[in-house]
Amino acid sequence: MSVETVEIHARDHDAFLKEVHSFEFWFQSVEGYLASHPYGVDPSAPIPELDESEKEALIATLSTYCVGEVAALDGASGMIGFAPSRQAKIFLATQVVDEARHLEVMLHRLAELGVTDAEGEFEARANRNLLAFRKKLGEFVEAKDWEASVLAQNVILESMEFAAFHSHIQTADPRTAEMLAGVLKDERRHMGFGENDLGRHLAQAPHSRSRLQEIKKELDALVLATFEDSQKALGVPASERTGVGRLYLDTVARLGFES
Amino acid sequence: MSDFLKAYSIQTWLESCPQGYLEDTEFGHAIGETEPGLILENPTLRQEAIQGTVQLVVGERCAMAASSGLVNAAPDYPSKRFLATQTLDEARHVEIFTQRLYDLGVKKDELEDVISAHANPNLVKFAEVLLEKVDKGDFLAGVVGQNIVLEGMAFSVFEMMHASNADMNKKFAHTLAGTIADERRHVGFGENRIGSLLLEQPEKKPEIERMQKEMTYHMLATFADSFRGRADEMEETRRIAQEAGAEKKSQVWHGTDLTKANPEEMENVLADTVLKEFKTRLGRIGLEYQSPDQA
Repeated sequence: MSVETVEIHARDHDAFLKEVHSFEFWFQSVEGYLASHPYGVDPSAPIPELDESEKEALIATLSTYCVGEVAALDGASGMIGFAPSRQAKIFLATQVVDEARHLEVMLHRLAELGVTDAEGEFEARANRNLLAFRKKLGEFVEAKDWEASVLAQNVILESMEFAAFHSHIQTADPRTAEMLAGVLKDERRHMGFGENDLGRHLAQAPHSRSRLQEIKKELDALVLATFEDSQKALGVPASERTGVGRLYLDTVARLGFES
Repeated sequence: MSDFLKAYSIQTWLESCPQGYLEDTEFGHAIGETEPGLILENPTLRQEAIQGTVQLVVGERCAMAASSGLVNAAPDYPSKRFLATQTLDEARHVEIFTQRLYDLGVKKDELEDVISAHANPNLVKFAEVLLEKVDKGDFLAGVVGQNIVLEGMAFSVFEMMHASNADMNKKFAHTLAGTIADERRHVGFGENRIGSLLLEQPEKKPEIERMQKEMTYHMLATFADSFRGRADEMEETRRIAQEAGAEKKSQVWHGTDLTKANPEEMENVLADTVLKEFKTRLGRIGLEYQSPDQA
């Protein structure tokens, strides 16, 4: 099957969604950037040398990212059980593998940085606000609350990761930047699902908006606090810490959720 | 433990599956392959193909629900990552078997009605027994039920169907070849992962063995429903295929020629093959196979 991108937008919306949420679509999308890139990087490229303080800062940052990826892995897999359609279930299955791959490539990068037990150590280094976010997402999934889960996972968490990774890529070493670029490509797909699904849901049930806005307000506080703590730990001056937070709020607003 | 689990990483899965045996395929078969005209044009053969494929969709929907449900319950990150690959494998199986129903002429807005009409009630109960454990977050019982019992059954069913279709329906045979490769991986994880966990939780054995007994009962009942009382249908199918000039080659599977066997023989070879594998695999992980015939 070839994905005929010109024709996709001419098709009716349901058929379009069926195609872009399928395994076949995922399969063809990721082939482009994952083929010949084990663990998301060019195997022939040298591993960059970092000084001790750069290494420690990167280890702390990647550890926090790992917590986010585990939250998304547990969230997406838990949501399959109560997803409202077969197509949503199949899309979420592709997201489950994406998130598991993100965790794996980040742990691989941590091992390259000399962390001997990355799996055992990353939670201990994780930001408490992000851990609180992860708990909140888990509660929505446990309660089988579809609209809250999609908001928390595919809008808020994915936008948070998008903003963090997009900002980080600007200053990261080439190997980390390459790894994050592949991750970002996946996050765009996940955000697209969130935007589509919630957009359609709110068109049919506009009364849900005020509830979702309240949830968003609570989660925004945890996201922005995570950014503040992480930037402070990295030694970023206070005046320069708001950029990634603004990018996050702008990203969520573009998905239909203004602050 | 972590050494064998390296074989179940995302990277290994990417290289063997999407970048391996799925390369240059669409919905699991070669691009452009179609269902044989003989099946599409003959109502008896088409209906039989639809009924058989519906059971595969039901089984794979259960497997997708089970593997995704077990991710959260997994006690370590490598197991979570493996189950993530299994979740996507099962989702792919749902997609390709659903696509086969469409290829056989089932309309998209009729899909759920067709599945409801043809889904074997014993297969549905088989799924319910497993999903009850998954819903409770019981990782040990869930992996035995899913990766030893369900995947063990699926593996043999797919192999038998592959043998039956290898000459007459290359498209479906190719589709099945990919699923067989996936199930082999899934069964391997079950065997490798559960042994050590059972040593840590030996008190779980009686409950897991009861679950296995109940699932086996429903599995054997599904096989019985699929084969018994179908002698006339089977003869008719073979007659149609022969009249249409389909080449009559032997298709021997585990000592039984599937082109000549009667329904009872087909049911027996499938049941015997599955149960033999169950006994071997369960024994390897420290469980005793429980026959549904026992009180």
